[in-house]
Amino acid sequence: MKMLKKLAVGAALATALLASTASAETVRFWYHFDNPENPMDDLVAKFEADNPGIEIEAENVPWNSYYDNLYTALVGGNAPDAAMVKLFAQPRLIEMGALEPIGEQVETWSGKADLLDNLLEINKGPDGQQYYLPIQYVVLYLYYRADLFEQAGLKPPATCDEFRDAAIKLTKAPETYGFGLRGGKGGWDQWGAFVLSQGAKLEPGGLTTPEAIAANQWLIDLFQKDKVIPPSAPNDGFQEITAAFKNGTTAMTIHHIGSSNDMVKALGDKVSAVPVPECGGGRWTSYGDESLAIFSSSQVKDAAWKWISFLAEGENNVAFNKATGQMTVTKSGSENWTLHERRFVDATVQSLPFAEVLPQNTATSEFVNTAWQTAMQQALTGQITSEQMMQQLEALFAQQ
Amino acid sequence: MPYMLLAPAVLVTVFIVFFPMVQALATSFYDLILWKPNASRFVGFGNYVKLFADPVFWTALGNTAIWIGLTVPLQMALGLLTALLLNREFPWRGLARGLIIIPWALPSVVIALMWRWIYDPNTGVLNDILIYLSVVHSAVPWLADPDLALYAIIATLTWQGFPFFAVMILAGLQGIPKSHYEAASIDGASTWRQFVHITLPGIAPVLATAGLLRVIWVANSMDVIFVMTGGGPGYATHTLPLYAFVRARQNLDFGYGTTIAVTFTILLGAVVALYLARTMREVER
Repeated sequence: MKMLKKLAVGAALATALLASTASAETVRFWYHFDNPENPMDDLVAKFEADNPGIEIEAENVPWNSYYDNLYTALVGGNAPDAAMVKLFAQPRLIEMGALEPIGEQVETWSGKADLLDNLLEINKGPDGQQYYLPIQYVVLYLYYRADLFEQAGLKPPATCDEFRDAAIKLTKAPETYGFGLRGGKGGWDQWGAFVLSQGAKLEPGGLTTPEAIAANQWLIDLFQKDKVIPPSAPNDGFQEITAAFKNGTTAMTIHHIGSSNDMVKALGDKVSAVPVPECGGGRWTSYGDESLAIFSSSQVKDAAWKWISFLAEGENNVAFNKATGQMTVTKSGSENWTLHERRFVDATVQSLPFAEVLPQNTATSEFVNTAWQTAMQQALTGQITSEQMMQQLEALFAQQ
Repeated sequence: MPYMLLAPAVLVTVFIVFFPMVQALATSFYDLILWKPNASRFVGFGNYVKLFADPVFWTALGNTAIWIGLTVPLQMALGLLTALLLNREFPWRGLARGLIIIPWALPSVVIALMWRWIYDPNTGVLNDILIYLSVVHSAVPWLADPDLALYAIIATLTWQGFPFFAVMILAGLQGIPKSHYEAASIDGASTWRQFVHITLPGIAPVLATAGLLRVIWVANSMDVIFVMTGGGPGYATHTLPLYAFVRARQNLDFGYGTTIAVTFTILLGAVVALYLARTMREVER
C-alpha cells in the first residue's frame, strides 16, 4: 500500500512537471557540430533573450549516426521540432510526410534578401515546395602540400592525368603516399570528382556505360596498381584522411573548407588548395549543403520558425559557421569573411561553377549511407570488379 | 499462493521479452521500410525466400561461424591458462587477479577504439613493433584487408573476453579438494595426468556453463565490430547480428532486418538446445 502511495505521488509529480514545461513553448532542435568549441549555448541565450516565452532545447547529435537517429525518431513519434538537414535526405523525408513547408514564412522573412543568390532555388523540394532554409555550405576541393609540390618541381594538378602523375611522383611508400582516398563512410564525394565528372550519373543506365566503368577502374588502379593511396584507404573516414594529411603521410586529399583551419594549424603555409582536377574533359565536385527544416509533427511550428530563421540571419549565421568551420549563406556575412584563410575561400569560390548536388531521389540516401561504401571497399580490395561495383550501385537506382 | 507471488515476474517477462519476440516474428512477415510507411504490406515468407537467395546472408553466416568458432575456444584456452597461472602461489597474487579483470571491465566501445589505434597502419603500435622486429616490411592494413579484418577483430574480442573465463575457471579450480592431488601424487601420477584426470573433470561443469554463456554473448555482440570496421571492408566483417542492424537501423528496412534477426535466433536456439540437452544428460548420469 505504501508502495502504491509512493507511486501515485511520483506520478502526480511527473505530471505537474510536464504541465509546467508545457506552459512555455519549447523548441527541440537537433544539430551536429564536430567542433568542441560549441557556441550553440550563446546563440540559444541570445535568442531566448530576444524571444521571451520560447525555450530552445538544442541537442548535438553525433554525425555518424545523425540520420539513423533522425529517421528513427521521426518514425517513433519523438522527433525534434526542427533540425539540421542535408539535401540528399529531402526526398525520403518528403516521402515520410515529415517536412513542414516553409515557403510562406520565407517570403515574408526580413532575412530573405540577405541570402546568397540561388540558394533557395537549389534547396527546393522535388515537388517545387520550399522545405529547407539554407544555413551553411561548402564545396569540395583538392588540398595539396605546396612545399612537396615545389620540391618535386610540380604544379598543382589541373587534370586527372596530371593528378596521377603528381601522385606517383610524390609517393615514397611506405612513408608517404600521393593521395589520401576516403574509402570508408562518406567517401562518395571524393569518388564523384573522378567518376561523376566523366559522365557517370546516378540513374538507371547512367553508371554502367563504358566511360563510367573505366573512370571507376582508373580510381581503383590508383590504389591497386599505382599504389599511390595508403593501404588503409578502404576503411579510412574523415578522421583518418585528415590525420594522414596533417602528419605528412599523404600529399593530396579532397575535403572542404571546414577542415582548413585545422590543416593550417598543423602545416601552416605548407598546405594550399585548388579546385578538383578536370577528368576526361568534365568536372564535378560536391556542393555540400546544410539547411534547417521544421518537422510536420511539431506542435510549436511558429516558435521553431523564429529559431531557424534567427540562425540564418547575418551575424548569427556567422557565429554558427564559426563552429562548423563552413561558409555563411548571407551576403552581409560573406563581405567581411575572416574565418578562413583567403586561399581556401578562393578555391571554394572557383569550384562553385561546377559544384553539384546528388540527384534528389530516395535511392540517393541509401547510396550515401551504406551502398557506396560497401561497393567501393569490395572493389578496392579486389573482391569485385569495377563493372560489378557499378552494376551493384546502379541496381539501387533501378529499383525506383 | 506461490504462483500468485510469481505472477508479477512472469507478467513482466512476458511483456518485455515475449511480446517483443512475437512482434518481431510478425514484423518479419511484412515488407516494412520505415521511410515508406504507406507501402508496407504483408508478404508472408517472402522475406525469408529473399534472405536465402541473398549472397550477403551466406557471407555473414560464414563469418558468424568463424566468429563464434574461433573467439570462444580462444577465450577459453587463454582463460584456462591464466587461471592455472593465477592458481599458483606467488607474491602479489591478489593484485594480479585484480588486474586481469581490466579488459573485461572496459566498455566495448573503448576497447574497439583502442584496438583501432593499435592496428592503424600509419600510426599504430602493432605495425611499428612488427616492422622493428623485421617480421613485416611495410605496414599491414589490418582492418582494411578483407582477408585479415575479421581475424584482427577476433583477436580483440579474445583479449576482451578471456578474463571472464579466467575468473570462472579460477573459482572452479579452487573448489577441487587438495587431497585429490595429494592422493594422485602418492600414486605417482605425473603433472599432466593430474591435469587430465583431476583438474579437467573438476572444472568441466564450469567450462560448459561459461562456454555456453559465451557462445550466446559472442554471437550477439556486434558493438566491437561496428566501431572497428562497421562491417567492412565490403562485407568482410559482416556477422548476422551486424547485418540485421545495418539493414534495420541504417537502411530502415525493418521487415528484412527483423527476418535476419529471427533466422539467427532460430539458428542459435538450435545450437543452445543441442548443448542443453547434452549437458542435461550428463547431469543425470
